[in-house]
Amino acid sequence: WLASSSLFPLSCIHTSTSLQKSGKWEKKNRIVYPPQLPGEPRRPAEIYHCRREIKYSKDKMWYLAKLIKGMSIDQALAQLEFNDKKGAKVIKEVLLEAQEIAVRNHNVEFKSNLHIAESMTGRGRYMKRIRYHGKGMFGIMKIVRCHYFVKLVEGPPPPPEPPRTGFDQAKEYVQQLRSRTLVNTL
Amino acid sequence: VESVLRPAGAAPACLVVPVRTKKRFSVPEWARELSPEEKEKRLRSLGTVFPEERIERTFYLACTADIIDPYIPPEGDARLTSLSKDGLKQKVEKLKQTAVSQLAVRKVKDHDPDFSTKTFPEKAQEIFIEAHNCLANFNKQKLHSLVTERCYPEMVRGNRYKTIRWSFVESLEPPRVVHVRCDSIVNRGNLYGQVTVRMHTRQILAIYDRFGRLMYGGEQVAKDVLEYVVFERYLVNPYGAWRMHGKIVPEWAPPKEPIVK
Repeated sequence: WLASSSLFPLSCIHTSTSLQKSGKWEKKNRIVYPPQLPGEPRRPAEIYHCRREIKYSKDKMWYLAKLIKGMSIDQALAQLEFNDKKGAKVIKEVLLEAQEIAVRNHNVEFKSNLHIAESMTGRGRYMKRIRYHGKGMFGIMKIVRCHYFVKLVEGPPPPPEPPRTGFDQAKEYVQQLRSRTLVNTL
Repeated sequence: VESVLRPAGAAPACLVVPVRTKKRFSVPEWARELSPEEKEKRLRSLGTVFPEERIERTFYLACTADIIDPYIPPEGDARLTSLSKDGLKQKVEKLKQTAVSQLAVRKVKDHDPDFSTKTFPEKAQEIFIEAHNCLANFNKQKLHSLVTERCYPEMVRGNRYKTIRWSFVESLEPPRVVHVRCDSIVNRGNLYGQVTVRMHTRQILAIYDRFGRLMYGGEQVAKDVLEYVVFERYLVNPYGAWRMHGKIVPEWAPPKEPIVK
């Protein structure tokens, strides 16, 4: 059987290439924190997961990512299951994969105890193709792909921020007025 | 390079590029029915030379794949005393097993004159402690020299993103050699020696997961551990060293499911 360095001296020795370029989001799963002292509160587990080069537009995917943002994972899965968009199916698969990884590798006890802290979309590699119109006219069509990133954190979802009322705004205005000082005087 | 379309005289000297057209093979009728020997004769007569291409990559077996003839520890080893009836039965069975072990010990002493069943257990315990310390500190190079290649993945699997704290408190009983086997694999005379050492010790183990949370064990809890550790050495190699090869799990004490916190 042949060894990896081939017969002829001119051909290159490094015949294998890496299958995946390791992106920053995947590397975030590799940090190891030092052990906690017994008195400290338990640090919540964070799991980063992503899927690259999804055949969908990043703007259309953004609507789904924004829908999911603060929800617990069960609620998010339920919403995506009954959503009609194409990206909903993809995001649901990504969330299920991330849940599996969390339970298996990252010592998460309850798979429903996760909530979505961050969910973002990014632009993938675009390809340009010719779109044929009538009368010999053509347009350049972009074949659009996107990436989807999600960060799951252990624990119940944080309570939503109460909306800013007029009363809060008035209080802040009065506070600003009170904190004025005279400058460059005795 | 000559071809029919470009005779040597007509081609300019600077444009000698070895371009080859698509080779289309067609075997003429008289050559189709020849046997391979006649074909070789014809080719040799034409003067083509075949380069000798036999790239062989040698690999070196530094350890066996499994424990030869695993030692079956007597039931309730650490729980019975030698004063009861069951304890005496155990001792009798132990004496029967030592015949094969004695032969193996003699074979080992042929290759390694320094080996002795009295001094070896202490060295074995030192190797054991050092190997576990290297595991805790992720000192891979030293760990490879203390542990065979079969044992290394068993020890290291799943530990990459975890922090392990291990410490050895004390040894409750002096370790002793229980079982010796000597065997050769692939060729005769390719000897590997395996020695089983019984250790009853107290250890502290705490494993923290990726986020620093305690997963198994505890830093203040010392547990009594009875282990049968197998050490192996490649006897024929004069520079071989005794390395940890694996542990024997007795059937009457299966490993319990660890309590995840």
